[in-house]
Amino acid sequence: MLDDYLKANLASWDEAVTLHVGSGLYDVEGFKAGRSTLSEIELDELGPSIREGTTLLHLQCHFGLDTLSWARRGAIVTGVDFSGKGVRTARSLADEVGLSRRATFVQSDVESLPDRLSGSFDVVFASWGALIWLDDLERWADVVAHFLKPGGILYIAEFHPYAFLLADDATPGSLRIGYPYFMHGVPQRFDEPGDYAEPEARTEHTITFEWLHGFGEIIDPLLRRGLRLDFLHELPYTVPGLQFSFLEKDARGMLRVRDHHEDFPLSFTLRMTKEVA
Amino acid sequence: MSHDTRDTGPHRESPDPVPAEARAANLELWNHWTRIHEKSAFYDVGGFLAGKTSLWPLELEELGPYVREGTTLLHLQCHFGLDTLSWARMGAEVVGLDFSDEAIALARRLAGQAGLSGRAEFVCSDLYDADAHLGGRLFDVVFVSWGAIEWLPDLDRWAGIVARHLRPGGVFYMAEIHPFARALDEVPGEHDVLVQYRLQPAADTPDVEAVEGSYADRDADTTGLVAYGWTHSFAEITGALHAAGLRLEHLHEFPTSPAPFWDWMVQDESRWWWLPDARGGLRKDLPFSFSLRATRPAGPET
Repeated sequence: MLDDYLKANLASWDEAVTLHVGSGLYDVEGFKAGRSTLSEIELDELGPSIREGTTLLHLQCHFGLDTLSWARRGAIVTGVDFSGKGVRTARSLADEVGLSRRATFVQSDVESLPDRLSGSFDVVFASWGALIWLDDLERWADVVAHFLKPGGILYIAEFHPYAFLLADDATPGSLRIGYPYFMHGVPQRFDEPGDYAEPEARTEHTITFEWLHGFGEIIDPLLRRGLRLDFLHELPYTVPGLQFSFLEKDARGMLRVRDHHEDFPLSFTLRMTKEVA
Repeated sequence: MSHDTRDTGPHRESPDPVPAEARAANLELWNHWTRIHEKSAFYDVGGFLAGKTSLWPLELEELGPYVREGTTLLHLQCHFGLDTLSWARMGAEVVGLDFSDEAIALARRLAGQAGLSGRAEFVCSDLYDADAHLGGRLFDVVFVSWGAIEWLPDLDRWAGIVARHLRPGGVFYMAEIHPFARALDEVPGEHDVLVQYRLQPAADTPDVEAVEGSYADRDADTTGLVAYGWTHSFAEITGALHAAGLRLEHLHEFPTSPAPFWDWMVQDESRWWWLPDARGGLRKDLPFSFSLRATRPAGPET
């Protein structure tokens, strides 16, 4: 079963790489011209921890634009993704922008990474739509703890779990619930021909399986592995990428719930530090 | 009593952040609720006096291992003290604190009737005035549960009180209504829910609501009573505890509620309330409660 889910998700993400490289949302040409793909959220909160030579492991890096944006700020980066196409695209982008000496890309799912990569890192980073592709955050937390140096930090910027609970037909005047917060390991199956970066595209691999994870599910396994919570922030806006009809862009280009600009959280960030033994 | 009384140093005194009209309305409500709750099946005072614990299996399982004979425990916002006294019966030396004078008077009476006066002390105090009553007393455990923090506008000051009365190495534990559940209401005419209230905190903006009955007795007459509450998020709760120097040890979330939010919720044999599904089963998909444990680090601050 799990293999089938992962196979469907991999096919979808392989296809997404080609679509996304040409998309306005990812703006690869802008990146090549020097633009950072990181949002002000992670730049403000993780930026100060990234110095020349900081080692950073980016889990579920897609085709590496954010990974390479950290490299441009001085980090020595390793990006990991389960899509071979994503990893190959990331490597050729690294070459094109002259960052291949400080950027390594590894094809692996998160769970198998300790078999394919050695070393430990100052920073482990994951962002925007990563966690929903993982069925089990206990094994993910094992991997995070495994690759963090003592005193190293985990930083996550993600879509808020509450943002995924509203029904497809929810409106700002009636924020009905349509999806579960607790999934008890059973994925949600989606069959959608579009794409979050290219909504008009008609994709070939339309079926995906996703697992929502609540705060307890995300944070508790990390606490049990000796990571300390430095902060958890919940923000009433998020970077673009969610397609729900009840969202609109604010003046800064962030998405908010229409008529609920200040009172409905759409993203969260957290930083945790691995204890010095 | 054998409380450690080392002083943790001076701290600033500033006005209570609860607005005067909110305090007056909430005090009237909680004094009124105390009279209703004393006689309610929900609180089952008779059962408690006959020896039953009022604590949920959740608190017993998660905090129980930290409570031994002689453990000192501070219960903030203790209402009329059944939970406080239930910890005392398990061996703890307890102090319960609540702002309702009628609740504290009832708690003291019940302590006497249950033969626990020797190990239970009750303090009538506004939460934000706790330091003035507790001085430098330090406890092994600080306990908060079920519908407490929604009455507080300022969690930073609340967490400061928790931390100042916890000994180094001591344990803070709370079991509470989930922030998401507090924002829900029923879809009119359906056994379903939607997000009706704010999820992001707005410290200066209390949620003011006419009170309809009580969580413990939905049919109780509460005509004319008003409640002032405040929305809190996980970010705010965990941030306040962190800023106070406490270290988060666990965060657990549950689809169960200790009281019915709407009259169509259903109760299981362990007394937990659930949303029903369309086929008569229990909905396990939405969060209604959470528990959190944090410690005051024992070593020197890092």
